Amino acid sequence: MSNTTAPKRFPMAWFYLALLVAYPLLVYPENALFRLTEISIGMQLTYIFIYAILALGLNVVVGYTGLLHLGIAAFFGIGAYITGILTVPAYPFQVGFIAALVLSTAGAALLGVLLGAPTLRLRGDYLAIVTLGFGEVTRFTLRNLEEITAGTRGLNPVPPPQLPGVLATPLSWLGIQPDWSLDYRLFYYLALGLLVLVVVLLTNLERSRLGRAWVAIREDELAATCMGINAARVKLSAFALGCGLAGMAGCLYATTLTSTAGPDAFDFNRSIIMLCCIILGGLGSLRGTLLGVVLLIGFDNVAAPVLDGLIQGANINPNGNPLLTFSNWKLLIFGVALIVMMRFRPEGLLPSRVVEEELVGYAPQPRGKLLRAR
Amino acid sequence: MTSLSFLAAADASGLWETLGQYTLIGLTNGMLFALIALGYTMVYGIIELINFAHGDVFMLGSFLALAMINVMTGRDWDWSDPQMLWLGIGLLLLVVPLFCAALNVTIDRVVYKPLRRAPKLAPLVSAIGVSFVLMNVGLLWGGAADRHFPDLISRQNLLGDDAAIGFTAKDLMVVAITVPIMAALTVFVKATRLGKAMRATAQDPVAAQLMGINIDRVIALTFALGGALAGAAAVVYGLYINTVSYQMGFQNGLYAFTAAVLGGIGNIPGAVLGGLVIGLARAFGSGYVGERWTSALVFVILIAILVFRPAGLLGARTREKV
Amino acid sequence: MSRFLPPILLLSLLAITTFAGWKDAGDGHPQLIKIVSSLPRTGSAKAQTDTIVNGIKIAMGEADYKAGGFGIVYADWDDATAGAGQWTAEAETANANRAVRDPDVMVYIGTYNSGAAKISMPILNKADLLMVSPANTWPGLTKPDKGDPGEPAIYRPTGRVNYVRVVPTDDLQGPLGARWAQEMGVKRVYVLDDNEVYGKGIATLFIEACQDLGIEVLGHESIDSKAQEFKPLMATIKGDKPDLVYFGGTTQSKGGQIAKDMIAAGLDCKLMVPDACYEEAFIQSAGADNLNDRCYVTFGGLPPDKLVGPGKAFVDKYTERFGGMPEVYAIYGYEAAKVALEAIQLAGVKNRNAIREACLAIKDFNQGALGTWSFDANGDTTLTTISGSIIRDGKFQFVKVLGH
Repeated sequence: MSNTTAPKRFPMAWFYLALLVAYPLLVYPENALFRLTEISIGMQLTYIFIYAILALGLNVVVGYTGLLHLGIAAFFGIGAYITGILTVPAYPFQVGFIAALVLSTAGAALLGVLLGAPTLRLRGDYLAIVTLGFGEVTRFTLRNLEEITAGTRGLNPVPPPQLPGVLATPLSWLGIQPDWSLDYRLFYYLALGLLVLVVVLLTNLERSRLGRAWVAIREDELAATCMGINAARVKLSAFALGCGLAGMAGCLYATTLTSTAGPDAFDFNRSIIMLCCIILGGLGSLRGTLLGVVLLIGFDNVAAPVLDGLIQGANINPNGNPLLTFSNWKLLIFGVALIVMMRFRPEGLLPSRVVEEELVGYAPQPRGKLLRAR
Repeated sequence: MTSLSFLAAADASGLWETLGQYTLIGLTNGMLFALIALGYTMVYGIIELINFAHGDVFMLGSFLALAMINVMTGRDWDWSDPQMLWLGIGLLLLVVPLFCAALNVTIDRVVYKPLRRAPKLAPLVSAIGVSFVLMNVGLLWGGAADRHFPDLISRQNLLGDDAAIGFTAKDLMVVAITVPIMAALTVFVKATRLGKAMRATAQDPVAAQLMGINIDRVIALTFALGGALAGAAAVVYGLYINTVSYQMGFQNGLYAFTAAVLGGIGNIPGAVLGGLVIGLARAFGSGYVGERWTSALVFVILIAILVFRPAGLLGARTREKV
Repeated sequence: MSRFLPPILLLSLLAITTFAGWKDAGDGHPQLIKIVSSLPRTGSAKAQTDTIVNGIKIAMGEADYKAGGFGIVYADWDDATAGAGQWTAEAETANANRAVRDPDVMVYIGTYNSGAAKISMPILNKADLLMVSPANTWPGLTKPDKGDPGEPAIYRPTGRVNYVRVVPTDDLQGPLGARWAQEMGVKRVYVLDDNEVYGKGIATLFIEACQDLGIEVLGHESIDSKAQEFKPLMATIKGDKPDLVYFGGTTQSKGGQIAKDMIAAGLDCKLMVPDACYEEAFIQSAGADNLNDRCYVTFGGLPPDKLVGPGKAFVDKYTERFGGMPEVYAIYGYEAAKVALEAIQLAGVKNRNAIREACLAIKDFNQGALGTWSFDANGDTTLTTISGSIIRDGKFQFVKVLGH
């Protein structure tokens, strides 16, 4: 392990964090970018933070432990719906944000364990299809249990968190209005704060006994078991943590949007896109995962509307020719981007050092089996 | 008392008839899923890639079939004449699989081949990318709305007009096309030299290469065969379901993938069995549980089966090699 | 050195934008008003939203992109993403915020999905920005006591109404459809819906009306609109021998496939569908033969070929430009844009609150394609004309007006 190189990289992370903390406070860049692109970058960053938490959770399962998980969106949805049920006025619970966050995380983690316990002995793609199936079952259940989940309408309104009174003065110094729906910066800092906590947690876990056990299982389950690692327990812990983080992201998602959206927001497509984010960034790599989320979610939520606006604004299409509208080409552009990026960086944009060393250290294998238990 | 038992008997015979009807529908739909699943499972068997774009190759095939039918109808092709009908379907079954095979091989050469030595999950993302691209092509080709696929085959009940169970010429067509294809595929894989090369490559590519098998050609052949099967499935699907849309590849691909895994991925009879199980699960689910739970039920059954048979229904429990 | 490149780039971007953002945003262009629509333009609902946008563009073109002395700019925003393939809550939120922050935006046309409206309504309400929906049918968005508890007050944090809709809610079509079925002599019905807000709502109201009228409801099932075929379901229904099958749903949620599979299963009874199937795409997706003389459609407003005045002009223009009768969503899109332009015209100033008030005050509006109607205090249309049509020879043929 090349832990020696870690301190050299450390300041860079601090730099990016400082930039993200400073950005909304400077106000002017946000305004200028909004005038230029008509997109609130600050608000989009909030969603990117939320998806980053989701992707980091998926990365624990797929990246560290090497278990292909195709149903992460279900746990995202479970987190959102637990939050919805616990907070909307239609239910008698009305708990606070912190309680909802903890219970969503715990609930999703528990369901992850319940799904994992009987199925973790499945190998590779059999586990993948079980997680996929669980995701679809969850979506249909959310849809069909209309008495509980309000069906496709979604539960709303999810109230914003209570601001602690002590924060009132510092917020007014910073020029932030204490209203969650008027000033995006409250959710921005909430999501950023949670993301930083998750990153710190995972950075420490990576180097802990458990983190090394995850990687050992991914690299060679049999050898790991011979070394005394309890494979079942280690895999279950990865499942619990990954699904729990997804539930946490779900809680944040529902709170930020004031609604659980509908069950279809948590479908297989969402799982697939999150998987693309972490593979594209570099499996098992924290930095890679974050970059993958920025690129893919950024394309969908920032680049696509900006391009669309430019094309409509340029007025090259006075006759309404459908071939000249952006929405008719969106999927193609997205697909080509995925293909091209994988073609030139098959190991991911920022691969984790372990994988990188493996790729250099071993002769390439005839079949791409590097990330499978051999 | 007597009247009551009479009622029960009448009910029971009705029950058997509906059971038979559900079984027939389930098996026919299952055949279709199986045909798509075969392409999945063969590609997986050779290069261990979950080819998410497979369903979209199938979708483009059905658009081609629709376009051909429209052109042929425009040129006064007489579909009502049985001879011309079967000739026309034969033509579709020749051209569409060729197109899908060519498309699949091209995709492999351009997109997957450069990634053969990449980490296992890299081609998966490329496959998802290809799926998006093909879906967009379908959108530009066929438009966003569902399209009606002409109803060329008679709906007349072969068991007689008053029979309680419906089995139409259309249902027969599905069986008459899919079963020979599956049989031919089995013979090909089991008995020919190329089939043997395919099996050898699936088992151990390095050893196969050492035995003088050209792996690249075998992989290309697998993609061609998988594409051709998807093309044939596209024609049968169009004629049987009668609706095509640019989004249909996704859902059908999902079921086909499920069928392939259910049967034991990489296993050809397994894919067929998996397809039939899914078809039956959908039909019985709709009949006895409730339409809205049908799709969830398919996956519940899948999870239950995999918990008890972790390598699928027909998958071999291989011991890990050390 | 490459790892220092991104930070340097980011820092310089920050510096440049800080200076660029120094000057005040201002009030935008004094002579320009922007109307935006937020609809799912990618994925499963694209076919319907294409027609809505067509309708909006015709309305804009008719006004020559002018209203109340202002130039009008129209922007077609997407609340769906490529990755999701359908509307996403964050895209809808972003669109709403984008509209609020852009000082030129005076009217927000949308949304398509009622679930999306629930998210953007409170955001737009705080800015007093007028929102005109061409497609939301969930009654709770406007009507007290008809939706979930707390609705619609939760969408109006300011207490003022800023949301109007030109599409009638479900509580008319369902009951009138049931009465029409009774007139046709229907005694036994089987009800299906697509498990969406619109379809389920309308199907539930149809069932309630049937029970009041003494029509026997044999069963009620929700389909999965992503499923490819419904043959087993049709076999079940066939065993119940209904006189009529009612499908609460849309063309895109498999209305066509339902009609087809009924025939395939040998179920040749009547089929009744609501207004979301009143479009040629429905006949095309079902195949004209499968619907001939057995498919009944209810529709809010008069059918396009019975319109006079401005409505007829629209129908002619649409047919000329897009080669076919306008789809129902094109009509609603057209109506929504017409209302937006009328509100700007009436207000005569570039002020969101003035335009909102002007819109709610619209009475006896007859410039559109749906006849004459007004907005009530909740922002709902007072339109109660429901017409019934039958599909014959691949065309919708008007049968009668079902009620006022």
